[in-house]
Amino acid sequence: MDEQTTAKTELLKFVPKPDRPPIVISHGIAGWLKKHLFGGFWNTLLTIAVFTLLYLLIKPFLDWAVINAVWSAANRRECMTVSPDGACWAGVIRWFNNLIYGRYPDLLQWRVNLGFGIGIIWALPLALKRLKGKLQIGVAGVVLYPFVAAYIFLGGERGDFHYLVFCLGLAYLILLYIDVALVHTRGKKLSQVFDRYLEPIFGKRSAVASFILIMALITVLCLYIFRGVELEYVSIEFWGGLFLTVIISGFSITMALPIGIMLALGRRSTMPVLRWFSIATIELVRSVPMITVLFMSVTMMPLFFPNTMDLNKLAQVIIAVCVFAGAYMAETVRGGLQSIPKGQFDAAMSIGLGYWQTMFLIILPQALRAMIPNIVTSFISLFKDTTLVSIIGLFDIMLMARNISIDKNWFGLHSEPLVAISVLFFVFCYGMSQYSQRLERKLNTSR
Amino acid sequence: MVDSQDGRNASKSRLKKLIYDSSLRSKAIQFFVVLVTLGATYFLISNIVNNLRQMELPFGFGFVWSTAGFDVSWSLIPYDPSMSYGNVYLVGIVNTLVLSALIIFCSTVLGFVVGIMRLSKNLLVAQFARWYVEFFRNVPLLIQIVFWFIVVFSTLPAPRQSYGILDLFFLNNRGFYFPSPVFEEGFLWALIAIILGIVAFVVLRKKSEAERKTTGYPWRFFYPLLAAIIAFVAIVFILSGTPLSWIIPVLQGFNFEGGSFIPTAFVAAFVAMTIYRSASIGETVRAGIQAIHKGQLEAATAIGFPPVQTLRFIIIPQAARAILPPLINLWLTIVKESSLAVAIGFPELVSVFMQTSLNQTGRAIEIVMMVMGFYMCASLTISFLLNQYNKRIQMQEG
Repeated sequence: MDEQTTAKTELLKFVPKPDRPPIVISHGIAGWLKKHLFGGFWNTLLTIAVFTLLYLLIKPFLDWAVINAVWSAANRRECMTVSPDGACWAGVIRWFNNLIYGRYPDLLQWRVNLGFGIGIIWALPLALKRLKGKLQIGVAGVVLYPFVAAYIFLGGERGDFHYLVFCLGLAYLILLYIDVALVHTRGKKLSQVFDRYLEPIFGKRSAVASFILIMALITVLCLYIFRGVELEYVSIEFWGGLFLTVIISGFSITMALPIGIMLALGRRSTMPVLRWFSIATIELVRSVPMITVLFMSVTMMPLFFPNTMDLNKLAQVIIAVCVFAGAYMAETVRGGLQSIPKGQFDAAMSIGLGYWQTMFLIILPQALRAMIPNIVTSFISLFKDTTLVSIIGLFDIMLMARNISIDKNWFGLHSEPLVAISVLFFVFCYGMSQYSQRLERKLNTSR
Repeated sequence: MVDSQDGRNASKSRLKKLIYDSSLRSKAIQFFVVLVTLGATYFLISNIVNNLRQMELPFGFGFVWSTAGFDVSWSLIPYDPSMSYGNVYLVGIVNTLVLSALIIFCSTVLGFVVGIMRLSKNLLVAQFARWYVEFFRNVPLLIQIVFWFIVVFSTLPAPRQSYGILDLFFLNNRGFYFPSPVFEEGFLWALIAIILGIVAFVVLRKKSEAERKTTGYPWRFFYPLLAAIIAFVAIVFILSGTPLSWIIPVLQGFNFEGGSFIPTAFVAAFVAMTIYRSASIGETVRAGIQAIHKGQLEAATAIGFPPVQTLRFIIIPQAARAILPPLINLWLTIVKESSLAVAIGFPELVSVFMQTSLNQTGRAIEIVMMVMGFYMCASLTISFLLNQYNKRIQMQEG
């Protein structure tokens, strides 16, 4: 009884609630700073430490590279007298042409631009939505474009076959752009416009026939137009700089894709001979460093062929890089193939498709689509690895940059060229990696 | 008339059957592949034989016993120019392995730091780590190696003005000097004590782990026993007469005498590759940690795990499973990539064997085979061992 009353009085007694905590600033600039930079003692300390580190790293670099830098001078001595502790960018600027084109003659450098320009023009229609048959455009590009580019880059007497393929390539490009224009105005390709006139003769195959006829016509036209034009010969020894780097990496990555697809299909094949052959090739190449493959290509490859055969260093290197990149690409492709659910194989088989039809119509289009980001990543690493060819004496951008320091005007200019090409590589590779990440996100959301 | 037509049809369909018989077809394709491979091999080998005959260089590995006659600038195992090409091969292998082991260790540690920094809640730290990764992995390794060698380490002051740390370590334009240990007579006892101590420590940890798993509390005898082990090792070390001393490098004339020395090229290659690979390892670590489901962290917090234990018992064991396979690949890449030190003249395998020895002997095929053979063996061994370990870790999930 007594206990109850005391309990009641205690219940009724006024007890103030504890104070609310003071309002934490969680919005505005102050809140943002607190959340991200200065939340707590250790966090603040960390922020200050990193900030100091950044200051210690960036300040001297900016002083050297921008504030004290010399942008125009005749030689290194002049740079040193103007500003002894600044960068001498004048040397890099003077050599810039060589960094890009190597020792390609100055007056003929338009040919390099033209060759790469044609490549870009060829690739542009692939981005168009309404154009059909992109696989054909791509394959034709991979097959024909190297001949066109080589014809322009090399010049000189190239022989009838090379001339014919060059004109074929040009004809294909012209037809491609006529098609692009027609598709967007009339919704039809040129060969589709003409095929009804050929139908009485060729029947079902009239579309193919009209395509071949038109190609032949434009090719003959090209052969006629360019018959007297002969470009001055530029030996491969004069190729260099970024130009050579892009040729080696670009050619290798395009060749690596078919090699990689074949090896990956071989690795997943049910035929033991094919499977073991592919596994051996892939694992063998992947387990050795690229530099040993390059050394092998320049020291051993001449022994592989009869010594009447003339192999130049660039061809040897490109073969080596192709095989190397192909083996790595095979693993990328295998990853893509493994991502395809088994139901796709079963479905293809149940509608009666054979092996090659299943692969090229059903599996590979999906696998390649999923692989595009990985292919871009392999391209980035190949592009970076191409600098290794400087070790075996090809004048790529790396060796060109190293050579500035032995020019008698710029003797000892080491760091500026290296920094310059580092920035160049960074811009290229970072741009490509951002692109591949964007692609990856896009592919993920469209699933 | 009708019969013969039927027979023709039958033979036609038999032919058709044969063409569309998948097992026969696969055999035919395989036969064809074998034939092409053999043909190509025959073509290559006959050319090689012809070319070698013209160069008067018969194929064979006998040259490894002949005197090399050139000096190697830095070697961990005894070497002088009167030794054979076989010794050069070994010197190259040891140098390659030491360089890659050091890079693997340091870049993994640095990579974990970078990976964890990238996930920091502190914006400045996370962004700093991000740009560190982006910058170092988007610039070719070769440029970085040459940069560190030529711009940073070759422009250091001469030995007389070298940077010293506590007068024990010295860094100058010739290389890095540090004290080298000298093992005196009684060191065998100390060594035995140290090995015993390590074994005891491993046993102790196993026991304490088992104790923790059964009772849920850390074993209370763990720290006292650990102290006892350390005390035991220390006492043996002192009783055997402190048999370990250090030779400290001392400046004499224009160079340092005594102690150990690694050349500038080694330091530059090591620093460049450690930083380059720490960026990729950092990305791997970040991806591994991010792959853990968020619920794991929330569950750990919900049952009242303190942050350190959450990291130790929840996050790390799960992240390790995701991190280890790509990490193994990166380690293999490092072993292969260490060959890039050839560009700055560090005497590793490719430099001493594939460049100098090959130029001197002209034996391209044998030397290429030996070098590639080494890298293949190294890759296969490392990937086999680590895959075994990886399997053990992954199995625990079941």
